[in-house]
Amino acid sequence: MENTTKITAACVIENGKVYVNSKLDFAAEGSATSLDFLKAAYTHYQLNYPKFYKMDSLCKLAMVASELLMRTNRINEKYASEAIALIIANGASSLEIDTEHQVSIADEANFFPSPAVFVYTLPNILIGEIAIRNKIKGENTFFIFDTFDEDFIHSYTDSLMNNDKAKCVIAGWVDFYEDKYRAFLYTVERTNEGEAHTTTNINKLIDNKLNFERN
Amino acid sequence: MSQKIYVTGIGLISAIGDNVEQTLDSLTRGKTGIGELELIDTIHKTRIKVGEVKHTNEELIKRVGLPADTKITRTSLLGMIAAKEAMMWAGIKDTNDFRTGIVSATSVGGMAITENNFNDYLNVEKTGDFLDYILTHDCGDSTEVMAKYLHIKDYVSTISTACSSSANSIMLGARLIKNNMVDRVVVGGSDSLSKFTINGFMTLMILDKEQCKPFDKDRKGLNLGEGAGFIVLESERAAAGKEILCELTGYGNSNDAYHQTASSPTGDGAFLAMEKALRLSGLKPKDIDYINAHGTGTEVNDLSEGTAIHRIFGDAVPMISSTKAFTGHTLGACGGIEAVLSVLAIKYNLVFPSLNFTNQMNELKFRPSTVLETEHPINHVLSNSFGFGGNSSALIFSRH
Repeated sequence: MENTTKITAACVIENGKVYVNSKLDFAAEGSATSLDFLKAAYTHYQLNYPKFYKMDSLCKLAMVASELLMRTNRINEKYASEAIALIIANGASSLEIDTEHQVSIADEANFFPSPAVFVYTLPNILIGEIAIRNKIKGENTFFIFDTFDEDFIHSYTDSLMNNDKAKCVIAGWVDFYEDKYRAFLYTVERTNEGEAHTTTNINKLIDNKLNFERN
Repeated sequence: MSQKIYVTGIGLISAIGDNVEQTLDSLTRGKTGIGELELIDTIHKTRIKVGEVKHTNEELIKRVGLPADTKITRTSLLGMIAAKEAMMWAGIKDTNDFRTGIVSATSVGGMAITENNFNDYLNVEKTGDFLDYILTHDCGDSTEVMAKYLHIKDYVSTISTACSSSANSIMLGARLIKNNMVDRVVVGGSDSLSKFTINGFMTLMILDKEQCKPFDKDRKGLNLGEGAGFIVLESERAAAGKEILCELTGYGNSNDAYHQTASSPTGDGAFLAMEKALRLSGLKPKDIDYINAHGTGTEVNDLSEGTAIHRIFGDAVPMISSTKAFTGHTLGACGGIEAVLSVLAIKYNLVFPSLNFTNQMNELKFRPSTVLETEHPINHVLSNSFGFGGNSSALIFSRH
């Protein structure tokens, strides 16, 4: 069906595995830490964005997921930078780096806050990093939920598309806390191809069960 | 559902006046509010110039008519004074006759008190009055306090997006009316000076030791300021029979996608925000009579904003000035304060001077207005506010 919103690509990262469009694309299960895994993914995919090393773990995760999404679906070649929106949520906010910052200022005798750390102590910075990397200038909003709220994100995304606020939306979840992480990002576009943008299909893509091959 | 957004009230307090009348007097006489810092005890006292409201918190508490021992922040007090004036101007005596909301912006919230109590807070054994201030720290507290004072119950929200905060609160207010969520809304922002911002901007090395010089080739940085500015927006229905000061015809917000803190040198965010505002208003660039620029006097802002202005207006840049050299940069309040000044520009056909300007920037073809212009009809004013991280907003006010 033309002119309805479709899920056109997805990238899921969890448990040492990277899935692109529901297919396992990279695994480094032997990584000692989550951070090691992200660095291994960065090297494996030759992401070639040195700023990656300066980022906190949350942004590193967002960067790998978004880079792979943009490689499989080159939306920034199809749409004006103002027409792409970013609607992303997570559960742990930026607590991972907040804690690191807190530790650096907790001891009066060894008080050494770092601007390079401090600058990441907001979760929506990850949206900023994706936007800066890909020159995305559309609507962007970051939400914090206990768990992913597919109904909310679905209706928010469709609302942006239906009101002509965006022609393409990158939506999903990027969460990193205490060495646990999970990310899934997907693109929604108005097109003939792709799977219908429904909450059922969003849940399928999260489980890597949405079939992107049929088109 | 109202598609027109009317401005029916204005109120402000800053270094150049406690109300609209005093402010207009300072602006027309070219009298700056920037000078020595007196009310905050900091080691930087002699190294900076600021736009300070020369009343102590005790004086402000008395002025709003609260008991002398009220635990309240300077941000709340400044906001209460400005918002109350705006509501009086709009003739609002009863907030139950129409659904009434408030959207207030701030960047420091209760920081000016928290920073003084900080060492006490660290001592868990210590008790005292200072503990009562903990709940006033949060940015949202200032809006809650203002809402209570003004008897506003239908919608209360706070926006904190650095220096575009109060322009964004004005945008949100307009959208609340357009979407039939409220009939009228008090919008703007309030920020007090604090060591937090003084130290922060010192570290960034973007404070001018002397009076700031927006759009000057030899600009050295900004002067911090404090204050609050609010306007009342009303739907056609709520504004019926009232004096309409002007209409809010356009607004736009955008991001730069350039850097976590700095604006892009090509002014992409500023360009997009102005473009969106113009599109929404249905106006052409040539229709704009006056640009109240963000014009902070920093190297980066004035270049970025000026470049974006040329991208929108070409060589035909309308009369333009920055009023930051009067008030200082009031951060989260500047969009609200400058919205009031934009309304005054339309009401009295004025273009306020850009103080301290001498030498034109090599990169730009325009010079800001340096004297008070009174001879030109001012029907449409573009007001810019740009925040760290490229959060850029533009508002357009039009004669009714």
